[in-house]
Amino acid sequence: MRLELAGITKRFGSLVANDGVDLVVEPGEIHCLLGENGAGKTTLMNVLFGLLRHDAGEIRVDGETVEFADPGDAVRRGIGMVHQHFMLVPVFTVAENVVLGFEPTRRAGFLDRRRARADVARLSAEFGLEVEPDAVVESLPVGIQQRVEILKALQRDAQLLILDEPTAVLTPQEIQALFGIMRSLAAAGRSILFITHKLKEVMAVADRITVMRLGRVVGTARPEETNEADLAAMMVGRSVELVVRKAPARPGRDVLELSGLTVVDERGVTVVDHVDLRVRAGEIVALAGVQGNGQTELAEAITGLRPVTSGSVRVDGLDLTNATPRQVIRAGVAHVPEDRQGDGLVSGMTIAENLILDVYDQRPYARLGSLDLGEVRRQAERKLVDFDIRAASPTVPVGTLSGGNQQKVVVARELSRPVKLLVASQPTRGLDVGSIEYVHRRIVEERDAGAAVLIVSSELDEVLALGDRIAVMFRGRITGVVAPGTGRERIGLLMAGMEEADLPPSAEGEDGAVTALDLT
Amino acid sequence: MTRTETGPPPAVAPATAVEPGPRGEPPAWARLARRLVEANVAVVTVLALFTALVIGAILITATTPSVLHAWSQVGSAPGHAFYVTGATIGDAYGAIFTGSVISPSALGHAISTGRGWTGAFNPISETLVKAAPLILAGLGVALGFSTGVFNIGAQGQLIAGAIAALYVGFAVHLPIGIHLPLVVLGGAAGGAVAGFIPGILKARTGAHEVIVTIMLNYVFLDLLTYLLTSRPFQQPGQSNAISRTMPATARLPHLFGSTLRANLGFVIALAAALAVAWFARRSTLGFSFRVIGANQRAGRTAGMDVRRVTVLVLVISGALAGLAGTVTLSGTDFFLSTGYGGNIGFDAITVALLGRNRPLGVVLGSLLFAALDVGGASMQVATGIPIDLSSVIQATIVFCIATPMLVRELYRLREAGGGSIQLFMKGWSS
Amino acid sequence: MAMNHPPVPETAPRARRGFVRSRTLAALAAGALSATSIAVGVASASTHLPSSGRRAPRVAHAGGFLACEVTDTGGINDESFNESAYNALKAAKKVDPSISYTYLSSTSTSDYVPYINDFVNKHCGIIVTVGYDMADATAAAAKKYPGQKFTIVDYEYTPTIKNVLALHYDTNQDAFLGGYLAAAMSKTGKVGTFGGQDIPTVTIYMDGFVAGVRYYDKINHAHVVALGWTPAAKRNYASGSFAGTGLFTNNFTDQGLGKTDAETLMAEGADVIFPVAGAVGLGAAAAVKQAGPGHYMEWVDTDGCISAKQYCSLFITSVTKGIVPSVETAVLAAAHGTFHGGNYIGTLANNGVSISPYHTFASKVPAAVTKELAKIKAGIIAGKISVDPNSYPAS
Repeated sequence: MRLELAGITKRFGSLVANDGVDLVVEPGEIHCLLGENGAGKTTLMNVLFGLLRHDAGEIRVDGETVEFADPGDAVRRGIGMVHQHFMLVPVFTVAENVVLGFEPTRRAGFLDRRRARADVARLSAEFGLEVEPDAVVESLPVGIQQRVEILKALQRDAQLLILDEPTAVLTPQEIQALFGIMRSLAAAGRSILFITHKLKEVMAVADRITVMRLGRVVGTARPEETNEADLAAMMVGRSVELVVRKAPARPGRDVLELSGLTVVDERGVTVVDHVDLRVRAGEIVALAGVQGNGQTELAEAITGLRPVTSGSVRVDGLDLTNATPRQVIRAGVAHVPEDRQGDGLVSGMTIAENLILDVYDQRPYARLGSLDLGEVRRQAERKLVDFDIRAASPTVPVGTLSGGNQQKVVVARELSRPVKLLVASQPTRGLDVGSIEYVHRRIVEERDAGAAVLIVSSELDEVLALGDRIAVMFRGRITGVVAPGTGRERIGLLMAGMEEADLPPSAEGEDGAVTALDLT
Repeated sequence: MTRTETGPPPAVAPATAVEPGPRGEPPAWARLARRLVEANVAVVTVLALFTALVIGAILITATTPSVLHAWSQVGSAPGHAFYVTGATIGDAYGAIFTGSVISPSALGHAISTGRGWTGAFNPISETLVKAAPLILAGLGVALGFSTGVFNIGAQGQLIAGAIAALYVGFAVHLPIGIHLPLVVLGGAAGGAVAGFIPGILKARTGAHEVIVTIMLNYVFLDLLTYLLTSRPFQQPGQSNAISRTMPATARLPHLFGSTLRANLGFVIALAAALAVAWFARRSTLGFSFRVIGANQRAGRTAGMDVRRVTVLVLVISGALAGLAGTVTLSGTDFFLSTGYGGNIGFDAITVALLGRNRPLGVVLGSLLFAALDVGGASMQVATGIPIDLSSVIQATIVFCIATPMLVRELYRLREAGGGSIQLFMKGWSS
Repeated sequence: MAMNHPPVPETAPRARRGFVRSRTLAALAAGALSATSIAVGVASASTHLPSSGRRAPRVAHAGGFLACEVTDTGGINDESFNESAYNALKAAKKVDPSISYTYLSSTSTSDYVPYINDFVNKHCGIIVTVGYDMADATAAAAKKYPGQKFTIVDYEYTPTIKNVLALHYDTNQDAFLGGYLAAAMSKTGKVGTFGGQDIPTVTIYMDGFVAGVRYYDKINHAHVVALGWTPAAKRNYASGSFAGTGLFTNNFTDQGLGKTDAETLMAEGADVIFPVAGAVGLGAAAAVKQAGPGHYMEWVDTDGCISAKQYCSLFITSVTKGIVPSVETAVLAAAHGTFHGGNYIGTLANNGVSISPYHTFASKVPAAVTKELAKIKAGIIAGKISVDPNSYPAS
């Protein structure tokens, strides 16, 4: 299918989310739409998929102008979309999910399961999407669930597939597999519109790249004509550092000491399994791993949010095993939680209020149980400047800020206290390049000021860039602690559950970044 | 590489990038008009009231024999049918107004003769009397709702407060200046204890406060029933289920002379509304209430003690309900029986919803509900149209408030910018 | 007067509140955990629930006589004294069509004073109030408006008030007859009673019933035992105390409780059951019917063969209380200028209380018993037979 977007404009009140966007996707092309969060990529895709009506411009499919009143129209015209958050019924099988909404039926309306299974098997074979049709979706790994989503679109005969940030939840191996699938789809003549803000992936897989910024298309390129730095510069309108500049760590005393830390969750599953880990003052330990392998629970156990079943947590010699979050905070632990909107911020409250969530009852903000609103505002105004939070005023609800600015609010709050230990979970998830750079710089500054830092991240780039040491977690256990120079493949294997001892010795100074992404 | 843009990019993020320039600024009247067609909360509330009055009018038309009779002869006298309909509806709503606010004719009479002031101002006085406990209990419920705690136990807490207040009333003998404040404090303490029970159960065991508070309503009602036939609460010389009466030193003074029932209870209610407003806005504890109400996980992550707040919310909520029980007891009733308190504890839930959990909203909502109750009785007496019409109006208002979508569709309103309606309904779905 | 109104068990004077709440609570509890249903529950909570299923009358008040009732918090359809008093207003209109009537339903005790005031301002010829709950409000209004006539159901003032006619009923007198009859009809030698709540308007019935049983034993040298009520040995009977211990449902609406209590009594051997609990008695009737032949009942307040027809075959008799005729009489007196304040006591002597005809038991009650009952009635009227159970030894 040849898709052509011409002069698409979409306004929300006074905000122009898409401003005369032109985009052409050729048949059999993998077209990357690259841009920071808030650049207008998602709006454009929602327009294309019939979820939003554009105010001006045209959508043409194979030269014919079309109007999509709803996603059904888009699907009928051969457009399929794989959302960032899967739209699957967890308790249904793969085949049931694939045919859901377009079920093949026998006479009297009975579901034709055999045909559903056959459809899945045929599509799997055709595009190299290995999936067991009778597996229940909730039992499948995320990467496979994503394949089910793609199968769903293909079953509806999608000629153009929109993939919205598909790699955010995948392991490096799964990402490679996804890229393989994308290539085989393209080879079969299907077009792919791949939305992302990760430069390395774009360079690895795209046939053509369109960069958006502030609702406009700011450039198109082919990967062989450009490089990551140029693309980044186009995205943010200035050149950015892709590597974190930091001096070698000068670790001091042990600050965080975990010994035999075990956490059993509400369902009785052991999610953190006898973890021993030390983080020293002045060093960053990055905890790598695919999401859901106990990293979140580990961070929660340290910060008092989750009961410790056995083992101990000590911070600077103080036993904080099963301490309350308040005690942990008072002990000098700063915590940037993984889910910033769920745990880090109160989106309906103002920036100023969010900046004092942990110190609202202390001087200078409070006196005799009464808030000093003037002081709260003054401090907030200062932090807007200090932490480069871009907002009209501190009285703006924090929920109206972009993801990057929201995260800066969390960081500003947590780093405004004396910090002995900083625990930051997925500190840059979903942030634009500029904000990522800013947050990383702050974390390094904190380390250099003598804090112990524990970063939990499923972004391998981030782990490699930030960590002075890298610990890899798999199913609640630390499978290895390695130096940052370690290759991506090797870390990937640790993330997949191989023990460090089982791996062949690696050459020192191997450049994993290049090898891992050189997938063709 | 092809760059399609040359100039420097705007310095600000897209969300704030496109400031409407001076040319694009719509004139003030247009902005006002736009605000009016937006489904913001105030507009929805007003339209809900309007819808309720229209439905009430339809009910009057459909059920009043004289109106139906006029319409059965619409062929011969069409004007008459409209006249009768209009007059009946006008009489009904007029009676609600004169019965709950002020009667212009009685006022005129009082002005011209210098007598009968009591009659002229009695309606508004009765509305204030009825509103006072509703405001207090409504504030308690609203405080809970906005903190994510669903206190359905205002009725029981109100009864507990009244029991405690009555005990302080008859058990100690002091001059009014000391006795009355002690009674009021006693009432608040009684309600607070009643609120503490579900609070501590939720905090310690996770028992859902909705279930516990509902069940405690029965417990306190039955406790009252028991006390009413037991010493020392039962009225001496009585074998009926009726309590001792409040001594004169424990009664709330009247505000406008002894003939009007309006009493200090209404002032207490307003003071409580101010206190709650200050509490939510300016106190550190209120800050933690708001945080936990809006996002409990964020509060917990920031080191707030969610359990402690849960207990405190229910204690304060219960204390306010206890005050509601006290102002009724010490202001107008002076005794307890099994019929004490009526539906105040449940109407409080309604006014909290109507007032969007804000103190001013609760005050206004309570006044509206009280006026509809008081005026409804007058309407039934004056016109024979049953007081149930008031209930229908109240219910319709609440219905419209609870389903803002309905009002928006009905009046083709645009979605409000801030999504404020969704925001205020949000608490109900968790 | 057409008797097309629902049954009227007057023994349920104070429980209506609990009922209103329980309906409200049920609405809330049913869906309290989900968004919409809370809103629905709230809406229903705000509508004061069943204050009237029936419309208020259209008052055509043009100089005629207006009779006005303020109900207590039970509301106009309480199947109890509020409703009986209202039926009396209708009955009065049947007699004198120039009378019109209206009412206001209190939703809380705070409504009594303003509602009475509303009716005073409406120039009602008589204001009917109901129950001891309203006694203070009625007395205060009577004092404030000496020209206004009042009548109050189920209350007695000492001293009397000249513009208030207080109506109350010595239902222990007819319950005494009911107890005697039950004892006479019992084959097992055990009869039982239970009440809706431990309050005088209920226990007075149970007390008279037990006294009647004891009297039967005394004069017939029998040993019939009355279960469910034990009068206190020491009590100030002269001043109207009916203290004692007994079986109570603490509810006037839940028929399941009545069934349980009746089954308990029958399991103890009782074969005649006398429930004093309004609609709860219907549950007892169901249990008695289920127990089969040889188990009977006596109904309370109204003639059960009219108000609970489906169980007529179980009712030996009904122990009735004359609220309708007495209120009707008071209204007519006020309308015709013959009203006098004071206390009216419904007794066997003035037919203010009575036992109903036997209906299906007409052929089963021995003539000797009927004859003895007539003698006892005369004895009570003459003051020769005490209705205090403590006057007789317990079996």
